[in-house]
Parts: sequence; structure tokens; C-alpha cells
Amino acid sequence: MNSNKPTAYNNRLGLKGWVYGGRYTFERYLYLGHRLSGLGLIAYMVLHIVETANRMRGEQAWVGLMVLFASPPFKVIEYLLFLAAVFHAMNGVRLLLIELGFFLGNPKEPVYPYSTSVMRHRPLTYLVMLLAGLLMFFGGSSMFFK
Amino acid sequence: MRETRLWSLHLLAIPFILVLLGMHLAIMHYAPVFYGMSVERAREYATMIERGKSIVQFILYILLLITGLYHGLYGLRGILRELPLTPTMIRVVDVGILLLGLAIFALGTYVTWWTFNAPLGG
Repeated sequence: MNSNKPTAYNNRLGLKGWVYGGRYTFERYLYLGHRLSGLGLIAYMVLHIVETANRMRGEQAWVGLMVLFASPPFKVIEYLLFLAAVFHAMNGVRLLLIELGFFLGNPKEPVYPYSTSVMRHRPLTYLVMLLAGLLMFFGGSSMFFK
Repeated sequence: MRETRLWSLHLLAIPFILVLLGMHLAIMHYAPVFYGMSVERAREYATMIERGKSIVQFILYILLLITGLYHGLYGLRGILRELPLTPTMIRVVDVGILLLGLAIFALGTYVTWWTFNAPLGG
């Protein structure tokens, strides 16, 4: 019997496997960022839906909530959310393009020195992250810090 | 095959979220750019109620709710299922996330419906 045979629930790394994938290249950090920003965004979405339900308690309750959200700590949180959303969206577009087979190049014979698909789409990765950075800076600063 | 279908839906949700969330940001955060309206005015109670009476807005919000919740909760399900879980625990994760999604969807839909029918002027 082969004990190393992978099964649906044979995750040797357990909790550590959530963040640690080994071979920490640029894409591996993006993977970690994508995962963390995704968790933050879904948590926010659930809270946002619950929080906006306050409108049913009337105008006073709504105004009180808006005053709270206009305070500096919430502005910072809102900006961090914006950063997470931009990063997750831009990196997600990259992942979608890769998933659909774009920017991976044509299949080649494996001749040394090997070229990997990761290296072939690395320019796209840099471009997407540059765009994300510009969006975060210009979009975010004009939106939250006038 | 079932997992392939769920994954494909996860991907299919992406363009919808990009467009709908972009519109949501344009309305709520970039109102001065797109509508010539201050952010404070865009977030006022009366403005929010008035906006919520549009059938287009109603449909788009429900669509954002469906696609956003599906995409996010499917991602969460994938992360949780990476843990060393038994088949029973996997089932608990699946059902738990489904119930959470349905509850939040019901609340979001009710709030959107309430806004659509709320009297103008508070």
C-alpha cells in the first residue's frame, strides 16, 4: 500500500498549508495576498450587508452610522478595503487569464535550460501589479483623502 | 463534474462583479466624478432611498449580491476544504457555507426590497 497516495483530506501541512506553499517566488506572495484579501473582502461583504440593513431603523439610525463611518479610523479602514479590492481584482484578472491559457506561450520540448510558464507570464504579472499600484494610489487618494 | 461546474460559476461571476462593483463604487465613492454630487450627498438617507426605487438599481444590486456572495463563499469553501477534514467535516463546511450564503442573501434581498418600497421622505 502506498501511504503517500494523496487523498481529498490528506493535507500533510494542515493549517500551515493555508499560507506556506514553499518556493517563495513573486507569484507565491501574490497567492498569499490574494487569499488574505479575499478573506477580508468576503468578511466585509457580509458585515456591509448587515450594516446597511440599519436603514430600516429609520433616518436617525442611518445618519448616526454615516457619522461613524466619516471618522478618521473608518476612513483608514475604508482605504485598506479599497486596496484589498483593487489588489484582489487585478490579481484575479491575471489568474483568470492564466486559467484560460493566455500568456503562457506555446508548448515546447523540455530542453535545458527549461523555461517555465511562470517565467513566460512574469511580464504580465509585473504589468498587472503596476496597474494595481497606480489604481491604488490615484483612485484611492482622490476617493478618500481629498 | 459537479466541482467543475462550481469552479466555472466562480470564474463566470468575475466579470459581473468587476462591472457591478465598479458601478457601486462609482455611485457611492466617485459621485463627484460621475454624477457631480458630493459623497456626503450620495450617502444621505433621502438620496439612498430615492436611488433604491429604481428597478434597474434593484436588479443590479440583487445580481451583485448573488455573484459577490457566490464568488466569495466559494473561495472560502475552497480554503476551508484544504484542511485535513474527514468527509463528514467537508459536508459540514459545505452545508454551513450554503446556509450562511442563503441567510445573507435573504437579508440583502429583503433590505433592497424594503428600500424599493420605502416611502420617499423617510
